[in-house]
Amino acid sequence: MQPANHADQQFIYPQIRFNFVELKLKEIHDKKIRDILDERAKINLPVIEKDASIQSLLTILAARDHVWAVDKKGSRKVVGVVTEKDMLRLLAPARLPKYVFGKKYGVSIEYGTATKTEDVMCKQLITCSPDDKVGDALQKMVNAGLRRLPVIDGDEIVGEITAHYIIQILLGKR
Amino acid sequence: MFDLKLLLLELGLALILARLLGYAFDRAKQPAVIGEILAGIILGPFVMGNLFGFDILSPSINSSVEAIAYIGIVLLLFLSGIETGIGELKNSGKKGLITSAFDVGIAFLFGYIVGGMMGYDFIHRIAIGNIFSATSVGITVRTLMEMDALHTNVGNLILTVAVLDDILGIVVLSVTLGKGSVEMLLLKVLIFFAIFIVILYGLYKFQKAKIKANIPRFVLTSALAFCFIFSALAMSLGLAAITGSFFAGLLLSVIPQRRRITEFLHQVGDVFFIPLFFVWVGASFDFSAIHGLGTLILYFIPMALLGKIIGCSIGAKITGFKSRDALAVGVGMMPRMEVALIVATTEMSMGIFAGAMAHQILASTILLVIISSLITPFALKLVYKPPAKESNATNA
Repeated sequence: MQPANHADQQFIYPQIRFNFVELKLKEIHDKKIRDILDERAKINLPVIEKDASIQSLLTILAARDHVWAVDKKGSRKVVGVVTEKDMLRLLAPARLPKYVFGKKYGVSIEYGTATKTEDVMCKQLITCSPDDKVGDALQKMVNAGLRRLPVIDGDEIVGEITAHYIIQILLGKR
Repeated sequence: MFDLKLLLLELGLALILARLLGYAFDRAKQPAVIGEILAGIILGPFVMGNLFGFDILSPSINSSVEAIAYIGIVLLLFLSGIETGIGELKNSGKKGLITSAFDVGIAFLFGYIVGGMMGYDFIHRIAIGNIFSATSVGITVRTLMEMDALHTNVGNLILTVAVLDDILGIVVLSVTLGKGSVEMLLLKVLIFFAIFIVILYGLYKFQKAKIKANIPRFVLTSALAFCFIFSALAMSLGLAAITGSFFAGLLLSVIPQRRRITEFLHQVGDVFFIPLFFVWVGASFDFSAIHGLGTLILYFIPMALLGKIIGCSIGAKITGFKSRDALAVGVGMMPRMEVALIVATTEMSMGIFAGAMAHQILASTILLVIISSLITPFALKLVYKPPAKESNATNA
């Protein structure tokens, strides 16, 4: 039905738009991750080698909110991740927790014990594969409290799933 | 009889006082744990009880707090295991291993000697040795930060040895305090570690498996359940519950959800169970036991401190440290805190220490915790002058 006048158009348009997003979201949930990854996303991945200096790491994190650590230059084998949250913890004045165990608490930029990316990265990654469904990957992120998931094919990173990426697809920007 | 009203009152008062005193100690650059123990002493039968007849937190009145305190110990060791992590062990290096072996060995020997001086039985001597082996380097890390020396080779070795000490200490405790004959005990320890290795192998394999089901919070619930069941398994093999929970933590340190489990445990443990353990320790502190301490305290504290200084210094010196730096490592490893208290209370729960002797050992351990935490910062600043930042070695 065509809107009768301008006022009606204002009223009906958001409803149509909402249905469109809702339908598209369901469609995206059922898609395989492989089908929503594009070449641009792969090229733009924030990646750093694990033995890179903290200085280099900070340079990337000045513009991005996370970076994937790979085992050596040119490689795509992901061995860790450094997120904005990790950096915030390292940038704030060092404060010991009440109960101190292990070496982890000694890692600090302020006190010079963190010198390389691998000193500060999280080494255990929750990942997804290109053949997983997007809906499952998003559910995994919600359950694990993660804001990004690397897409790993074989041993190599081929993309990443983030809320931003899904929104861009949803709005037709990818 | 179970009294819910009293329990709720105890929990409420204990939690808030522990938090406030813990914070006050933290502000005064002292370990928060001492504040929590003090909260227990204040609320316990020996201060509030004697002064106002307000006898809460007394084991004879309500044993529920004791049960919560023991869950606190199990969670604390689980957290210790998962934060220490098997991965860290691979990076410890030869220097860390050698220093840790000398550290635990000599500290244990000094404990055994103290027991001998007091004329205690074999099992009690070993039990004191176990208390002496424990280290908690929180206060040392804080001091090294103040001195801007955490990045030096001394700081690095202290952090590495602290990790290994926990593991070696728990292994020594399991082997020496297990119940039954030597052959049976060795068999049980072997069974325990065989189960450990099988589960570890299973977890590595499990990570590659594709699991479609998404049960909310399943990982967190099963981590907690695994900790409790593994601790019960250790106990049924005649080992301590803390051995089970520590190794359960080490096992789960290999799974990708490690960080999420750690955050969850910190929320549950730090807010409720673990402070209640330290409050309960404080409430169990018997002032009348101090009168009977006499010669025990005369040997106990100096020998506990010397054992660590000598053990670590020899270890560090052998691995190529200069004498003064090796001494600094020894002094830095002196403080006793959570683990020593946990070992002492575990030994009490296993029935090794009982009656007046249990009170004396617990009182001595609490005094050791307080004295070692107070003197370590001064002693460390006295013996160690960190090199200028530019010329520091970064690798121990």
